[in-house]
Amino acid sequence: MSNTIKNSHISDPPLIIGNQTFKSITDSISRITEIKPPKEWYIFFGLAVSVLLILLGSIGYLFWEGVGIWGLNNPVGWGWAIVNFVFWVGIGHAGTLISAILFLFRQKWRTSINRFAESMTLFAVICALLFPAIHVGRVWLIYYFFPVPNQMGMWPNFRSPLLWDFFAVGTYFTVSLLFWYTGLIPDLATLRDRAKGLRKKVLGFFAIGWRGGNRQWQHYELAYLVLAGLSAPLVLSVHSVVSSDFATGIIPGWHSTIFPPYFVAGAIFSGFAMVMTLAIVARKVYNLEHFITVKHLSLMAKVMLLTGSMVGYSYAMEFFIAWYSGNGFESFAFINRALGNYAWAYWIMVSCNVIVPQFFWSKRLRNNVAFLFVASILVNVGMWFERFVIVVTSLARDYLPSSWDYFSPTIWDIMTFIGSFGLFFTLFLLFIRFLPMIAMAEVKTVLPEADPHHQDNGGKS
Amino acid sequence: MKNDMNGKTYWRSLEQIDNSPEFQKYLQHEFPDGTMDIPDGMSRRKFLTLMGASFALAGLAGCRRPVEKIIPYVVAPEEIIPGIPKYYSTNLSFGLDSYGIVVENHEGRPTKLEGNPKHPTTLGKSNAWLQASILDMYDPDRAQSVLHNNNEAKLDDFALAWKELSTEFADSKGDGLAVLTEAVNSPTFIRLKQDFLAKFPNANWVTWEPVSDETIYDGISLATGNEYRPVYHYDKANVILSLDSDFLNTESNAIRHTGDFANGRRVVDENDSMNRLYVVENSLSVTGGMADHRYRLRHQNIGAFTVALAFELKAQGLSIPGVSVLSKYKSHSFNSTWLKAVAKDLIQNKKQSLVVAGRGQSTNVHALVFSINYALKNRGATIDYYSADDTNRPQTDAFKKIATSMKDGDVSTLIMFGGNPVYNAPADFGFSEALKYVNHTIHISSHLNETSKFAEWTLPLAHALESWGDTKTADGISGITQPQIQPLFGGISFVECLAAIVKADGKFPAGYDVVQTTWKTFLGENFTSAWRKVLHDGVFTKNIIKPANPFLSHAKLKSVLKNNPFSADADFEVVFKTSPSVFDGRFANNGWLQETPDPITKITWDNAALMSHSTAKEMGVKNRDIISLTQNGNTVELPVWIMPGHADKSISIELGYGRTASGRIGNGVGGNAYAIRNTNTLWASGNITISPTGRTAVLATTQDHHGLDIEKLAADAIQDRLPEIIREATLDEYKHHPDFVQEHDSSVPLVSMWDEFQYDKGPQWGMAIDLNLCTGCNACSVSCQGENNIPIVGKEQVEKGREMSWMRMDRYYSGDMDNPEMVVQPLNCQHCEMAPCEQVCPVAATTHSEDGINGMTYNRCVGTRYCANNCPYKVRRFNYYNFTKDLPEIVQMVQNPDVTVRFRGVMEKCTFCVQRINQGKIEAKNEGRDLQDGDVISACQQSCPTDAIVFGDISNPESQISKLKKQNRNYALLGEINTQPRVTYLAKLRNPNPDLHRSELS
Repeated sequence: MSNTIKNSHISDPPLIIGNQTFKSITDSISRITEIKPPKEWYIFFGLAVSVLLILLGSIGYLFWEGVGIWGLNNPVGWGWAIVNFVFWVGIGHAGTLISAILFLFRQKWRTSINRFAESMTLFAVICALLFPAIHVGRVWLIYYFFPVPNQMGMWPNFRSPLLWDFFAVGTYFTVSLLFWYTGLIPDLATLRDRAKGLRKKVLGFFAIGWRGGNRQWQHYELAYLVLAGLSAPLVLSVHSVVSSDFATGIIPGWHSTIFPPYFVAGAIFSGFAMVMTLAIVARKVYNLEHFITVKHLSLMAKVMLLTGSMVGYSYAMEFFIAWYSGNGFESFAFINRALGNYAWAYWIMVSCNVIVPQFFWSKRLRNNVAFLFVASILVNVGMWFERFVIVVTSLARDYLPSSWDYFSPTIWDIMTFIGSFGLFFTLFLLFIRFLPMIAMAEVKTVLPEADPHHQDNGGKS
Repeated sequence: MKNDMNGKTYWRSLEQIDNSPEFQKYLQHEFPDGTMDIPDGMSRRKFLTLMGASFALAGLAGCRRPVEKIIPYVVAPEEIIPGIPKYYSTNLSFGLDSYGIVVENHEGRPTKLEGNPKHPTTLGKSNAWLQASILDMYDPDRAQSVLHNNNEAKLDDFALAWKELSTEFADSKGDGLAVLTEAVNSPTFIRLKQDFLAKFPNANWVTWEPVSDETIYDGISLATGNEYRPVYHYDKANVILSLDSDFLNTESNAIRHTGDFANGRRVVDENDSMNRLYVVENSLSVTGGMADHRYRLRHQNIGAFTVALAFELKAQGLSIPGVSVLSKYKSHSFNSTWLKAVAKDLIQNKKQSLVVAGRGQSTNVHALVFSINYALKNRGATIDYYSADDTNRPQTDAFKKIATSMKDGDVSTLIMFGGNPVYNAPADFGFSEALKYVNHTIHISSHLNETSKFAEWTLPLAHALESWGDTKTADGISGITQPQIQPLFGGISFVECLAAIVKADGKFPAGYDVVQTTWKTFLGENFTSAWRKVLHDGVFTKNIIKPANPFLSHAKLKSVLKNNPFSADADFEVVFKTSPSVFDGRFANNGWLQETPDPITKITWDNAALMSHSTAKEMGVKNRDIISLTQNGNTVELPVWIMPGHADKSISIELGYGRTASGRIGNGVGGNAYAIRNTNTLWASGNITISPTGRTAVLATTQDHHGLDIEKLAADAIQDRLPEIIREATLDEYKHHPDFVQEHDSSVPLVSMWDEFQYDKGPQWGMAIDLNLCTGCNACSVSCQGENNIPIVGKEQVEKGREMSWMRMDRYYSGDMDNPEMVVQPLNCQHCEMAPCEQVCPVAATTHSEDGINGMTYNRCVGTRYCANNCPYKVRRFNYYNFTKDLPEIVQMVQNPDVTVRFRGVMEKCTFCVQRINQGKIEAKNEGRDLQDGDVISACQQSCPTDAIVFGDISNPESQISKLKKQNRNYALLGEINTQPRVTYLAKLRNPNPDLHRSELS
């Protein structure tokens, strides 16, 4: 793709190993979608669909009975549903970051994982959007959120951050979808060319007549660049807006200007953790170690180290500001998090989000796939608890002590959350089964053959 | 944020202070026991759902709503405009008390009760029981038909059966015939009683109530030799000493007493004075919470304390008749500084003081109290005594006698007017056993209760709002009870039934005629117009009698007191208390009252064994541990609840719970304390075995929910912020720092980023709540529930923290754990001008009106709960389930047609009674005038017996609300976050005796 900017990392090892050729890449990646999937796929898929059924059952019961089935109470009006929403939106951040921002910064190592990450983004955002939709008391009136012209001239309240959320996440999903699909077109055409019969027709439909011609590539790359440019600010905006749900609130522990950058850092942090978890499993199952190399994982670990440290800094800064403000309510909200009745949640959060990524300073651990796998899961646990701590502890003990209460989840809270993983993995496994999980066209561009004039650092990277 | 005025520390519950290591460990559980472990889970709800549906059908069949007569309006009734409620005055009796009330009636359907401003018993005010009485009428579990040996029968069947039966008694003049009635103050009933006794002179007529002022009457009778009833004038007393009397809540005539007390306490500026209240009691009550000095003392020692006080008064030069024969009890066991100061204060305020003892104290205490008041010249000044010769008053001795003669087979026919003796008669009577010896038992009862099940005949009793009747107070103020609706379940009234029994002609007379017969003698000439006027006014004062104010009978008093009856010294006492929710159990099936939190403990749907912290420690029990209390083989099991300020070695348990046949709401709620209550220990017993069971119970409280708030960190935070939330000073501090309230205010300038809406046109609604007057009696809260169709949610949902009350009562303690001061703060929507809830609602379902009301558009609400989260006062309530869907149809009839019933998934909260505002506006417009102060009265304001809540137009400088808000005690709750609430509070004051250090037994 890019042939104008020289890479200066002369000594870097090649990104793709195992003497791959254009053909070997096409073969090894396309074949996954063409042959019967391995046994593991069936096991995972069966599991995922079972868990998805738990979600559907929980939602059915929720709609039938009302949100009372959750552990919510009067001070704590938002519980796991909103925690899950923020959690999934956060996970959805890595995709666009890898696709758009790393693309704009010409980080070629992204090519091996970008399809993966983008798909994950889409599915995570689908999971995220589910929660605000089902958590409302009267789900059948959810269309009141939409600015639909009506005879009463009744518009939604544009001052409400929940409405901004709706637009921000909606936009993010739309752009991410377009971006993902645009990237898929050359690969879909590759699959089409290898296919026969109905499969060929279906793939042909979605490949929208891609022939790989020079002009097509020219337009394609421009479109990709434009979409990347559009997506880049979204990476920053989505979680900033989500954080406004809390930051614009008046509740101590929510009312904080540090939230937008802090949420964005956290989102990228958790998003990379999720990409890492999935990539480690997929490269193992599908023998893609040549494409998703330890180097890729190590680079992702570096990003996590950076964002994890930013998150840790934010935690510290929140405490400082709470003290520095001299506001008794504010300082209590934070001391209560660390030492109050939710301290267990707080320290899970700190251990997973601040301490775990610090191990990534060690190159040996960065290259240890098993460690990375465990660490990535811990980071996601920690990030879920971060949202839990923010949402629940602030509400449980706000201004007037007479209202203080304690939130305990019910079985339905837990099942809905677990069920959302079912939805995510079902979608993800279907993607792996039917679409090329690595962007073939892009990976080919980082092979030495793609750069016959050795303009790009001798094809090494 | 520390309170520099008096340096005291606030705390909220014992569990905050008692930071035991066990509890710390308990806290560290991820989900402590009890938070996940809700017994029955959904099953109770499911059960209610199913029962609701089936009873809805049953209700339809049994409901005699006069559909044919009202709905068609072929000929429209002249006075009724559909949609415009009519108001009728009537009277309700409550034991020997009566309440003059006004009923809001929508097209023949009564929906709400308020006090009758013309009637001295209420003066337009009410209490929680009065407010909830309307729900009793629509109780689907009421007796719905005549039962003869549990087979359905007709009223006429009974009348004929009685006609036959009564011939047996005609010759014997009533030998073997007995009547057991509730305390009824109806002149008609008393007239018929005399007719009955004239016809059957040998019959045995007994009146009994499980909770009554019997000891007070007996005590006065002991001191004077005759029957008198006291009437207290708390407004005339500068110094009040309550000896175990909760006169502001559970004692007789509390509405009027609370109002009078508040009038003596109201302060307009720092130059005002206020009364001083001393309370001696074993468990913290509403009255104790209002006290300026409270002395916690075991129930059994209060008699000795009274003696010590008498001696102290004597030592200070007051001659107290009858005291000389008493031997002086070891008064050193009482705080002599306290006694001295109180005695001095009482003597300095002769004729303007009042010593009052509770109904739970012995007759001897009451006799002595009479004597003390007599010596203080309070008789005729702050108390009047009225002759009570013809009163149908309760007598336990007579009741015991009848129970004995029943067992002896001397009673062949027993007629019970109301009451529930099988449930609440003293356990040693063995009343249900005794009933088996009676051939014919007739029970006229509102419900098929525990007693009805034993009766041969059960006649359904009509509610007072469904029948004709009359009432009379101690001082002779009478009124007519007029029906507001036809009996829903075909019941009859006491007077109809008694008239039929007297006449025994096989028919039931019309109640209207029976009552008119009585009133013809009262009204004399021009009966028809006089009758109409009494009906209209709801009060008849021409029969008022003059106070008898008897003299003390020295000889009689001496003969009693010389036996030194005050030396109780049981090691451990169990005290029986009247429940502020269900009274003696009669309101057990009233969901509004069951769900109204106890004013002190905040427990709903339960009674508990209340005890002090050190007693609990001594017994090795903690909150929610079930203990069993056993007397003579009868046992009641109750969960422990630690009450600050409770006397040590003393346990208080509330009567009225543990019903088995009250109906779907009250059955199985709490434990039955009557099981261990005997004749000679009606109010306290030192002879009860207590043992822990090792089990724990779930108690649903609306504050301190899971008892998890005890970490020192949280307790400290509460101490820091409470002096700002509840601003309080002594009267003396107020005089020296009139602006003490402002000293708490933040110095940070409150600015907005925008040009805010100028609320400068038309009426601007606001509210002020005077914390100095509020007793925490819950009248406002229940009134709001009735006015605004607020659903009850049940114990499990309250336990989850989902109670729906729009007006909640926050209660905080301060000071020493054993001798705390208590403050209450009613909290409704504060109607912030800069409302945080409005800004965050994504669908604009909550918005501000131009007249300053934070409104909820239920239709628009999708239920994101963002508004509730962002409310700093946490006054918004969410319908987590469809709490109203399964209401039996008959219960739906109590709902206010002017207020939307909310659906599942919708947020709700106080609307400032917007329906009343609009009604007021329309009326003013129809009359072509501007709204005036007092045109719009919110439900909470209307019911508040102390007038602590004032609502009105703050843009009118002449309005009562504007004047209140100008007072220097006025402050906005959490004003520093610039929400600019329209509800403001007036700081609490206390008036401690300068001779007593504040911290000393405060």
